[in-house]
Amino acid sequence: MFKDFAKKSLAALAVTGAAIASFAAPAQAEFPEKPVTMVIPLGAGGSHDLNARVITSIIPSYLNQAMIVQLSPGAGGQKGTHEVARAPADGYTLLFTHNYIDMLQQHVENLPYDPLEDFVTVARVNYAPIAVAVRADSPYQTMDELIAASKENPGGIQMAHSGNWGALFVPAAQMMQALDMQWNLVPYPGGGPALQALLSGDADVTMGFPSSLSSHLDAGTVRVLATAGEERIYEGVPTFAEVGVEGDVGFMHRVVLAPKGTPEEALTKLSEAFKKLEEDSTFNRMMGRLGENINIISGDEYDKMRAEQSKAYEVLVDELTSQ
Amino acid sequence: MLDQFTEGFAMAMRFDTMALMSVGLFAGMLVGSLPGFTTLMAMAILLPISFFLDPIVGIPFLLGIYKGGIFGGSVPAILISMPGTGAAVATSRDGYKLTQKGKSRKALDIALFSSVFGDTASDIFTIMMIFPIAFLVMQFGPPELFAVLLMSLVIIAATSGANPLKSLIMMMLGLWLSFIGTDPLGGVERFTFGLFELKSGIPLLPMLIGVFALPEVANVIIRNEKGKKLAALVGERLSRVEFRRCLPTICRSTAIGAGVGMVPGLGQIVAAMMGYSAAKNASKHPETFGEGEIEGVAAAEAANNAVNGPTMVPLLTLGIPGDNVTAILLGAFVAQGLRPGPELFEQQGATVFAILVAMVIANLLFLVIGYLSIPMFSRLVTIKTSILIPVVIMFAFAGTYVFRSDINDLMILVAFGIFGIIAKAARFDVMPMVMGFILGPSMEYAFGQTVAMSQGNPLGFFFTDRIGALCVLLSTPIIGYLLWKRLYSSPVAA
Repeated sequence: MFKDFAKKSLAALAVTGAAIASFAAPAQAEFPEKPVTMVIPLGAGGSHDLNARVITSIIPSYLNQAMIVQLSPGAGGQKGTHEVARAPADGYTLLFTHNYIDMLQQHVENLPYDPLEDFVTVARVNYAPIAVAVRADSPYQTMDELIAASKENPGGIQMAHSGNWGALFVPAAQMMQALDMQWNLVPYPGGGPALQALLSGDADVTMGFPSSLSSHLDAGTVRVLATAGEERIYEGVPTFAEVGVEGDVGFMHRVVLAPKGTPEEALTKLSEAFKKLEEDSTFNRMMGRLGENINIISGDEYDKMRAEQSKAYEVLVDELTSQ
Repeated sequence: MLDQFTEGFAMAMRFDTMALMSVGLFAGMLVGSLPGFTTLMAMAILLPISFFLDPIVGIPFLLGIYKGGIFGGSVPAILISMPGTGAAVATSRDGYKLTQKGKSRKALDIALFSSVFGDTASDIFTIMMIFPIAFLVMQFGPPELFAVLLMSLVIIAATSGANPLKSLIMMMLGLWLSFIGTDPLGGVERFTFGLFELKSGIPLLPMLIGVFALPEVANVIIRNEKGKKLAALVGERLSRVEFRRCLPTICRSTAIGAGVGMVPGLGQIVAAMMGYSAAKNASKHPETFGEGEIEGVAAAEAANNAVNGPTMVPLLTLGIPGDNVTAILLGAFVAQGLRPGPELFEQQGATVFAILVAMVIANLLFLVIGYLSIPMFSRLVTIKTSILIPVVIMFAFAGTYVFRSDINDLMILVAFGIFGIIAKAARFDVMPMVMGFILGPSMEYAFGQTVAMSQGNPLGFFFTDRIGALCVLLSTPIIGYLLWKRLYSSPVAA
């Protein structure tokens, strides 16, 4: 009967509720008294989702409360961001985002929130350095050869990226700007399809994070020509700085933000809990398997980086859109 | 390769694998049958559990949720005309008519059998042909995807009703509705009237429930049959003769579904519609389709499940997930230390085959679990309408709300409900609109990519580089006309 069915569903709900409640320590007056929600402004199965699943399965032991992932994709990340901006600033609603959604979009569109004014950083969890990749049978053996070919034939090189103003588009645009060259940027619905376009021959070059490129590097189907930052990641592969692209270019920072006005006590509790993840062996093992690093930066320090990012992106957007 | 397969086969034969897979199948079916709760959500929430399980247990567990969820989605589609996903739209067409005729149990049975058949056949096909499929997948770029999507829309419009003009009008409306929101390529806002709420576009779920379920609710209320039941009886189970009659349809749909699965970006929705259209076209009595034809349910369900096998191929051979479900599976793989990609088969061949074998076993387990659960579900419709209708309305609103906890979605639901009632009265079929709405964004994206790839000269690009896509584009109107002519040889209005 339907009644049985309803009863069963209710029972299932009760069990889930009990499971969540069992995370909770004996009643305490101090923060957090109830589970904390972490909103992700992106879809299921992406790298943010995976990182968050690992974080939320470990952090309850340091927070003494469960942390719940809530996916809220839409409008290029603005939907979820807007939700958190409007949420009460009590520390129970956090945003797990990255620097391009956080700091770049304000210069491209009119947003219903002000990222610098409406949010404070709880912690930066980790970062992913981007790499420039070509097919193994590509005629371009080095980054210099690719740059020379791009200057010779402006717009003739097809570059597959994961969507306008996204994590692959922005570094490509910054690179074109710094090196004074031109690629034909073709959007794909995500980094995976962009990589597939490279492999199938539709694109000449793409970018990717080490976690998604590693199996192809081992198999020898893809060659990396340069990686973001100043320190070399792969032997014999130059960094962006070495090929003439300086600054905070090509890093995707995964950050946890809270609405501005969140009580100091709650912020401290939260960032301490994130800080402790760095030492946790299970967390290290699982992030290692995902191919992600762990590099926690405290809120104050990252807030300064945000202000710098905002300025750099403003200049970039101005130049790109004025053409 | 063969010894890897036999080793993998042995690895999959574990009691805990079977047990957790069964739990996953049952849980997936329950979640999938509740409108608003998607299989994807269930998988994302339960993903961390698989982190701590053995790979041969954890990944089959997730696969179980996925497979159970697809069938679960067709339960409300058949019983109360409430498809929770695009993939169940084609199923609800004949499924709900069967329920109204008092044959809900038959409809659920054939849905289960064709799902399991389509899925199993496509899994076995995938295991045997994994590398040829991987090669084929690479032949499809944005221009080919655009051509195939356009052809799908034309076929849907041509086969969905006697009056192609009405179908085309509804499809155009659907395409226009899909334009609302942020342009996926340029990031420009379109038709949002400056409303932030519309910036991410119209969500699919309120539209589906609105246009399919609410008009049926209104229908029952208008007829004012308080004491009556939606269907007096649940009917008999499916007979062997009926299954045998559907078998050619199931086989055809399985082949179509497996083919669609190989094209990255098409997916279950296109497969279900194509399988349905093909079955209608091949039938000696196409007029029974849409009026409660068991073959219609079989065609849609076999096709949308047959997609599953081939969609795993890019994930396993390239490490590239084709959709959200495979993206979650990718997460489960890497968290287990298995890195899908070109070397997976060399390094972990046995484990991969164990997982593929587990997929086949999951289907067989589900045959039993589903068969035992159907009586429980099918009795739902024998509740008095004075009780059932409020429950259905509650499901419609609650399901829409839980989907993304947005109050605006309820207004969209009501708007589409009213639209659905008017369309029904005016004898406009809402199906082409929904299909245009679902496939529009992918088609637009592929078109934009094609234009970007061609560097501003798409015509020349098609002629020089993409002859295959060009041929599909040129043949599309002819195929559409021939299909329509065959099905409706004496064109009459509506």
